[in-house]
Amino acid sequence: MSAFIDARTVPEGTILQPDLVIVGGGPAGIAMALALANSSLRVVLLESGGMTLDAKTQALYDAGETGAPYLSLQASRIRFLGGGTNIWGGWIRPMDNIDFEERAWMPYSGWPFGVAALKPHYPRAQLLCEAGPWLYEKAEQWSPQLGPMLALGEGGVVNRWFQFSKMRGSVLPTQFGVRYADDLKRVRNLSTHLYANVTRLGLAPGGAKIDTLDVATLGGHKFKVKPRAVVLAMGAVEIARLMLASNDVMASGVGNANDLVGRFFADHPIPRNIATLILFDGKLAPYYLSNQSIDGAVMRAGLFPSENYRRAHQVMDSSITIENQTKLDDLGKAALAATAAGLGVDAGNTVAYSLGGGCEVTPDPERRFTLEPERDALGMPRLKLHMRIADSDFAHFRATLKELGGQLLASRTGMLRLNLKERAQWLEGLDWGNHHMGTTRAHADPKKGVVDANLQVHGVANLFVAGSSVYPTYGAVNPTINLIALALRLVDHLKGALR
Amino acid sequence: MKEMLTRRNIVIGAGGAVVLAAAAYEGVRLLGKRRAPTPYDDLMARLDDRDADAQIGETVLANFDNFDAKTVAAELRLRLQSKSLAEVMLDDVRGGRVMEAGGWVLPETLALLCALAAKAEA
Repeated sequence: MSAFIDARTVPEGTILQPDLVIVGGGPAGIAMALALANSSLRVVLLESGGMTLDAKTQALYDAGETGAPYLSLQASRIRFLGGGTNIWGGWIRPMDNIDFEERAWMPYSGWPFGVAALKPHYPRAQLLCEAGPWLYEKAEQWSPQLGPMLALGEGGVVNRWFQFSKMRGSVLPTQFGVRYADDLKRVRNLSTHLYANVTRLGLAPGGAKIDTLDVATLGGHKFKVKPRAVVLAMGAVEIARLMLASNDVMASGVGNANDLVGRFFADHPIPRNIATLILFDGKLAPYYLSNQSIDGAVMRAGLFPSENYRRAHQVMDSSITIENQTKLDDLGKAALAATAAGLGVDAGNTVAYSLGGGCEVTPDPERRFTLEPERDALGMPRLKLHMRIADSDFAHFRATLKELGGQLLASRTGMLRLNLKERAQWLEGLDWGNHHMGTTRAHADPKKGVVDANLQVHGVANLFVAGSSVYPTYGAVNPTINLIALALRLVDHLKGALR
Repeated sequence: MKEMLTRRNIVIGAGGAVVLAAAAYEGVRLLGKRRAPTPYDDLMARLDDRDADAQIGETVLANFDNFDAKTVAAELRLRLQSKSLAEVMLDDVRGGRVMEAGGWVLPETLALLCALAAKAEA
């Protein structure tokens, strides 16, 4: 076992020459480094932070924002080994076929590959997330022991399952930096450098490949890396910043000949108390309200628009969760009484719940990052985010909730109130998933995407991107397991390409 | 002590009870809310609680620029001609015919009945 290398101790002027350098020690970078163990490739993993949160390192994330309300870009990311998994909620669910499809009604949709390209890598990704056996919809076989699933009439919304990363003390899911530190140290062909910030992607003359990476520590220490290939795995925000800021050879930045880097930024809006659910008989299985152990996995049920419904009704993805019990106002009581009487159901034990959830946003080139004149402690230009969210994004979510309302009535199970209508209502108290996506979108056509189907930056032969920044569209599920599967697929490609 | 349960006392007591019950019934009828007749009282008879239903109906009417009560009533009579309200409500939701009432997703027929109830109160 070899210790991590403190980049502050690397002699000035050092030039590392690995086969592959992975920039960023988050879930994608760690998954790749572990998957390359015992390969013939010499790998360097560069992580900006150390093993714990450091305020000065975290401050490198400061960025400006305009437009629609969004989270602080410093608070929504964590800059030490493990990256986003140091603050994630552990929610896991694979994407659906439709998420990868080109849809005429959804602008800029269509991945350069389908979900089949990820399927071989999901089991390993699930293992790394410590999410237990691959159950998801199979949980319905075991869940009746805890209570039946919600009966929904025929329609577009279906019961689906989330799994969860291993919970530690019922609070924290797997933190990749802590969990896999020793595993990384055991990989003989890997050297992991902490406190190592890449400040420039140095293109070779002509710009067709990366020649050198400039690395700096906050103390001013500097060295270089001259790899055969580079994988950027620092998250959708920092990847865009580094590519845009590395503009000494190509004025528009690396891989940005078509002005796409930093555009199409996306996250999952999480509006609060989106609807009120009434269950006539008041019965709700506990796995709708909180995580439950089911056949060796930690699971929670939610409600999703089915793929067929999304195709037929041209609606974007969303996820609905049942949250807390709530009380009805006078109109709610009147609506309940009239509906129950009309349907001839007993509403004597009725219970009302508030619903939460998240939704997909339309790909939008104007929801983007640009560089600011102000510089951070490493001399890197700060970013500014121009955030936007379309009214139609909320309308799609609302249409799905309305569909659910009809299905509850059809099954005589319950009824639903849509609590949000006007834009201001949706934006009030709006939270976000901290799921940064889209800034280096994948597309076979360099005019429509930054990376190709192999996640190679168009026009830069040895530069690759791992992580959810390559998403052209976003679905509504949490990205971690999916981006890990993407990263593992990239490992397979690199093992062949760098042989 | 004289015997209380004589035939005479029982007859008098029973008679008194009948008179009291009749008075109570008539009192409730006279003191209860009286509504002017409407052209769609036959439909209103399908509703359980006209006041509460009218409250819902006000929010249904907010969905309409022009609500033609006569036409709506005719359409509802057709729907309810040979089916119970419960059956028609289920037909509605299975056919995707739902309406919002203050955000509540309701079967269209129930929502329109409530709207008529609101019109009747206006």
